[in-house]
Amino acid sequence: MLAVTFIEDVLRGVLQGLPPGAVYGLIAIGFVLAYKTSGVFNLAFGAQAYISAGLYFQARNEWGWSNLAAFVLAVVIVAPAIGLILERLIFRHLPPGSALAKLVIAIGLSVALPNLFELVVGFEPVAGRTPEGLLNGGATVFYDPTGLYAFSRDELTALTIAIVSGLALAALFRFTPIGLQMRAVVESPRMTELNGIRADRVSAFSWALSSAFAGLAGVLIAPRFNTLAAPDFFNLVVVAVAAAAIGKLVSIPRAVAGGLGLGVLIALIDTFLPRLSEAQEWIEPIQDNVTPAVPFIVLFALVTLWPALRRSQEQSDPLAGVDPPPPVPAASVRTPFLTILTAVFGVCFFLVVGVVVVTRADVSWLFLITQAVIMSTIYLSVTVLTGFAGQISLCQGAFAAIGGFTVFQLADRFGASVLVAAVVGGVIAATVSALLALPLVRLGRVWVAIATLAFAAFFDAVVVKLPFVGGGGTSLLQGTRVPRPVLGPLDFANDRLFLGLAIVVFLACAYTVTAIRSGTVGRTLAALRGSEVASESIGISPTRARVTAFAVSGFLAGLGGAMLSIQQENVNYASNFAPFAALFWLVLIVSLGARTVEGAAYSGASFSLMDPLIFKGALLGWILRSEERIPGIFPISPKWRFVLFGLTTITFAKHPEGLVEDGKRKAHARVERWRARVRERRQDAEVTA
Amino acid sequence: MTAVLDTRGVTKTFAGVQALSDVSLLVEPGERVGLIGPNGAGKTTFFNCVLGVLRAERGQVLLDGEDVSALPVHERARRGIGRTFQRIELFGESTVRDHLLIAERVRRGDGRLWRDLLGRGRPSADEVAACDRVLEQLGLAELAEEPIEHLSLGQGRLVEVGRALMTRPRLLLLDEPSSGLDRRETADLAATLRAVQQAQGFAILLVEHDVELVANFTSRSYVLDFGTLIAEGPTDEVLASSLVREAYLGPGGGPG
Repeated sequence: MLAVTFIEDVLRGVLQGLPPGAVYGLIAIGFVLAYKTSGVFNLAFGAQAYISAGLYFQARNEWGWSNLAAFVLAVVIVAPAIGLILERLIFRHLPPGSALAKLVIAIGLSVALPNLFELVVGFEPVAGRTPEGLLNGGATVFYDPTGLYAFSRDELTALTIAIVSGLALAALFRFTPIGLQMRAVVESPRMTELNGIRADRVSAFSWALSSAFAGLAGVLIAPRFNTLAAPDFFNLVVVAVAAAAIGKLVSIPRAVAGGLGLGVLIALIDTFLPRLSEAQEWIEPIQDNVTPAVPFIVLFALVTLWPALRRSQEQSDPLAGVDPPPPVPAASVRTPFLTILTAVFGVCFFLVVGVVVVTRADVSWLFLITQAVIMSTIYLSVTVLTGFAGQISLCQGAFAAIGGFTVFQLADRFGASVLVAAVVGGVIAATVSALLALPLVRLGRVWVAIATLAFAAFFDAVVVKLPFVGGGGTSLLQGTRVPRPVLGPLDFANDRLFLGLAIVVFLACAYTVTAIRSGTVGRTLAALRGSEVASESIGISPTRARVTAFAVSGFLAGLGGAMLSIQQENVNYASNFAPFAALFWLVLIVSLGARTVEGAAYSGASFSLMDPLIFKGALLGWILRSEERIPGIFPISPKWRFVLFGLTTITFAKHPEGLVEDGKRKAHARVERWRARVRERRQDAEVTA
Repeated sequence: MTAVLDTRGVTKTFAGVQALSDVSLLVEPGERVGLIGPNGAGKTTFFNCVLGVLRAERGQVLLDGEDVSALPVHERARRGIGRTFQRIELFGESTVRDHLLIAERVRRGDGRLWRDLLGRGRPSADEVAACDRVLEQLGLAELAEEPIEHLSLGQGRLVEVGRALMTRPRLLLLDEPSSGLDRRETADLAATLRAVQQAQGFAILLVEHDVELVANFTSRSYVLDFGTLIAEGPTDEVLASSLVREAYLGPGGGPG
């Protein structure tokens, strides 16, 4: 009897897992399509799914369209159009083989697109507005053909549509010439073009197709969420990548199987975990969070433990050698005159800002400036990892959160010294970072990014909920409180004093970063970035060098996260450190400059000050010397910030050193031209004299 | 005397295709040995097995009598194997001297993080002098401050040699150094290499399909064809043998 119940439970789990699994399969199909035909690891896939889901919802509920019309608009028209636009305007122009640039741009897009959509359509995610499915009564009408599990109408619709579109795609690949061409374009677009096939057309077609799958999946999955919001859809990408990874990113049938498998696995865990936790008490607090974390765990395990996947390195185009090398860093070719000029300008600028801040700034400005300095400290962790080591980490938010939670636990609960706790937080973050790096450092850079994303999502879903990290139940009510430090006569509850402390910490970290860049570790990492085989051939251990970079980066992020929590006197995990929030950090710093301390400082300033200073019109108000004369378009929505910087990542392909470096180089050239002209004129004058 | 390099029955297959079967060869200290063969004979695969970039399925690689078969690439490099690359592998965004400096620093093995943090990570005068000596030998002294992107292919190959020399190799593996160079550049490179090698006394294993360079540069040669050693001996004899001509030109091939 017991065995029969068990088998019934398993079957019920399988049935329950099939509908979401089928949708995961759809997302995986779209993901694999884009990857296969353009080599783009399209993390913006979730954003595209979100746009279609949001548009469907908006058209149906706000504009009163019929279900079918809303579906046609969202999935048949807009979704492929977005794909076409992305391909035409962005991805077509990237050199093949620039896997890192493509990844960075996709990350930028996943920040920019949802915000752009919300701004253009006027869509606002509001809690409690539950999305509806394609058919009316989707969540209320049930069918139970097997007597084991009652499918909702939404679930059956999703399952049917997923199966039909999967079959249609298989037919397209198998029976049409475009299917073969799509496969050829992946290997080398330029080679394919030599054979008389227009690679750009094939690529455009597959982007449109892939994006249609994203849109379809978005509309089908939406009823499973309580609220229609971008971060949930971003997590969908992780599910898609996990499913796609099961097919080694190239096999569509296996990706579908992977999607179905994930759906079923989640349903089974959902069924059996509560029973297990009756026996094992420690599971209880994380029980609800294990289920959503399953894809992350699966993905992380696949990436780190499956040798076949690890060996599938970044694609290399046989004709990639014809691309020109990137430019030399601006500072290395600067004349001494310019170096002095830059230094003088910098010192003057900071003196003026410093005087204004100390004498004029009120509490809210002081808060923002302090935040800018602390964010710059956190961003230095990206400088080390992305700028020096060339690795993209999407879990810097988690490392920073470790710092914040350490201070909270040690100081609030055990009464330890806050400053000591901040350093301990840095050390713990460094340790976690180094341990995380160990299985990752020999993977291709795209896989490192994906694995860190999986870790960030896992940290977010499970680790934060643990009582010894996020504080568990009591903290939900009281918040994760963090006190300000007191050092002898100095009480850092004073905001000006705390700003001083933040600046000291930033300068110390900046010194660390520059010392590392000019020292052995920096040179080793530069060599590895240039050529891994050549580095090994002179005795460099890539593992050791990269683990060091991860550890240093973890420490900086942890220390910065601790400082941020101390400033806000609360960890504020969700708004400060959640994966989707931290994604913007990377976008910001990569756009502005990941190689230099300046880049980090500019990023920190942009993060905290751009919104109040520029978008709210304060700067214009000061210039016009009146708040009344600020034009009516202000305040501009802060969402434009995400759109702006998200789209700026497109420049990464051309200027991987960032806008700040690029601007510096141009300014240098201008100053040098001006000097040359002055010199010429002087010579002319001498000649005529 | 122990051979610098002693490979015993090195065998490697790729998806069922035998790339190397049972390759055994010896390189004595201070010797210049050639490894020749037509395209696709398995020369570069053999190099990669010696260095550890690829793991051989069977066979051993002995360096100065020590079995290094299980060691990763960087450990083998530290034990005295230096190399250059057929498709040139340089570090972007750094100068010619930077290439040698990092190799020197790694050889000295004092690159600890705390030294960097104490501001003691910058190159010492001692290290710069060591690099400049090698640059001088290779005729690159004037280019020391040049960004690597400004160099010609021939100069780039010399930088690779210089970088390898900083590790004080016991054995230098040269992978098709003539590829992409014209006859004069090749001759210049060979002359420079010979001079440096005679001054420092390391051994060279040269993979090449430019027969002329092999004839002028090496005293002894091995011939690889379809992953199997088909001939070995003094270079002029090997090059004259009918078996080698057949491998290069096909059965009944004319004079090479």
